[in-house]
Amino acid sequence: MKQDKKMLLTLKNLYDKKKILNGIDFQIKSNEVQALLGPNASGKSTLAQIILGNPKYKIIKGGIFFEGKEITKFSPEKRARLGIALTWQSPPTIKGVKISQLLEKISKIKFESKKMDLKPQFLEREINLEFSGGEKKLSELLQIVSLNPKVVIFDEIDSGLDIKKLEKVVKIIKKELIAKGVSILLITHSGTILQFLKPKITNVMLNGEIICKDKDYKKVLRTIKKYGYEKCKKCQFLANRP
Amino acid sequence: MKNVKNVNFWQIDHKIKNILSADGVIVLPIHEAWQKFEWVKSLFQDKPKEGYFVWVKKQVSFPLTTCVTIASKKIFQDLTNLLVIEKGLKIKANVTCNAAENNLCGTHKAKGKMILKQGACLEYFHFHQWGEKDFVSPDYEFILEKDSKLVYTYKNLLPPENLILKTTIYSKKNSSSNINFLVNAINSKIKIQDTLILEGENSQGIVKLRLVGKEKSDISAVSEIIAKNIVKGHLDCQGLLVDKNSKISLAPKLICENKNAQLTHEASIGRIAEEQLTYLRMRGLTQNEAIKLILTGFLEINSK
Repeated sequence: MKQDKKMLLTLKNLYDKKKILNGIDFQIKSNEVQALLGPNASGKSTLAQIILGNPKYKIIKGGIFFEGKEITKFSPEKRARLGIALTWQSPPTIKGVKISQLLEKISKIKFESKKMDLKPQFLEREINLEFSGGEKKLSELLQIVSLNPKVVIFDEIDSGLDIKKLEKVVKIIKKELIAKGVSILLITHSGTILQFLKPKITNVMLNGEIICKDKDYKKVLRTIKKYGYEKCKKCQFLANRP
Repeated sequence: MKNVKNVNFWQIDHKIKNILSADGVIVLPIHEAWQKFEWVKSLFQDKPKEGYFVWVKKQVSFPLTTCVTIASKKIFQDLTNLLVIEKGLKIKANVTCNAAENNLCGTHKAKGKMILKQGACLEYFHFHQWGEKDFVSPDYEFILEKDSKLVYTYKNLLPPENLILKTTIYSKKNSSSNINFLVNAINSKIKIQDTLILEGENSQGIVKLRLVGKEKSDISAVSEIIAKNIVKGHLDCQGLLVDKNSKISLAPKLICENKNAQLTHEASIGRIAEEQLTYLRMRGLTQNEAIKLILTGFLEINSK
């Protein structure tokens, strides 16, 4: 398959064995912020897991390309080392392993947790054990920033955060990632975070397909608010539908 | 061994390399103590051959340290150890038993009595590290007198070919214990039998087992609490099987002889969750690195 080398990450006509994805086409350039909206069970999180190479999902058609190179069969760790990162919506607990232990093993850059207003004691807690929703998001963000990635997929980073915490998360994403040229894909159900990070392209996903892409995230949000996701296909404002 | 000068008792094969007493701490070879003190004779039927005697009579600020090593081929150690903590003292002990090399085919047999007098507190860290052809058989008794407190952690990350680990804790009135057995079995046969006897009123104890079975290991553990009074006890036994050729048998056993006692247990044997592995791999760790980190966490329990 021929690839556009200007693109950082490309998904081409992607299908998986469980039939959650039904021909996904997606591209993101360097230093670009995009959003992916969709209702529950539309396949957003599965798409994120597939991009990172979760062995639970098998790709049966299409391919994933990173910096022009096909990575469809790469292991998750190889993808992570290339610079693809994902913050999990519901990250698992790893008992007995402290955040600081994990950071010691995975960090490519030294990032001071003070910058996230995190107390040193937080780093000595076991990964995701008895974390609040907000603490999980901050732990994910801290790990991702330490990986020094080229592209980050945020899976519902805004869910369960109050406005103060959301602003804190946004501030870190802007300063530590966007300002350094990192590409961002914001997966969101509510769309709350979009007003802070203003994506260049907003994608809408339904039943495993990206059914529309638009440059005006406000328009997309308005449409969804007015018609709901199920009526997205009938939306008269969506001009750039594939 | 590092900082040899600070080790209270250090034995290699059958030879004592170092003995260090301090103000308020008497350290002797056990056979000398047996001859010197009548009360020591009353604790052991036969004259002990080798091992340590540590009698803590005053509060000290440093941790007690002992080390017994097998360094030559086919050594048979037959140890008897005695540790006595006098009333009200708060003591930490770091106890290491190990093999200097992997293929010495040694035998390490140890009988021990650890006596905590009234109100004493002991934080005892017992670390084992063996060669793959060794046979190891420790049999320890802890006697917890009134109001005493024990935190005991047995950790074995490099097991012998064969390990029989027997531990018995006698708990008197108002005493408490927090007992942890952390064993990483690699191509080994391991038998664990621990018994916590809650004899005294209001005595209480928690026993935690964390067992990892790797590379054709066979682990069999019976963990028992006996309530003889109004007491509280809890067993928490967890096993993790890492390969298909290993086996873990876990048997938590609660025996209640008092209607007002409260004994509980939880037990599980499982495998590493795929979700945890995938999560760590997406952070850049290889599958093996991820397994290692998860197992490190599993064997790192908070014993406070």
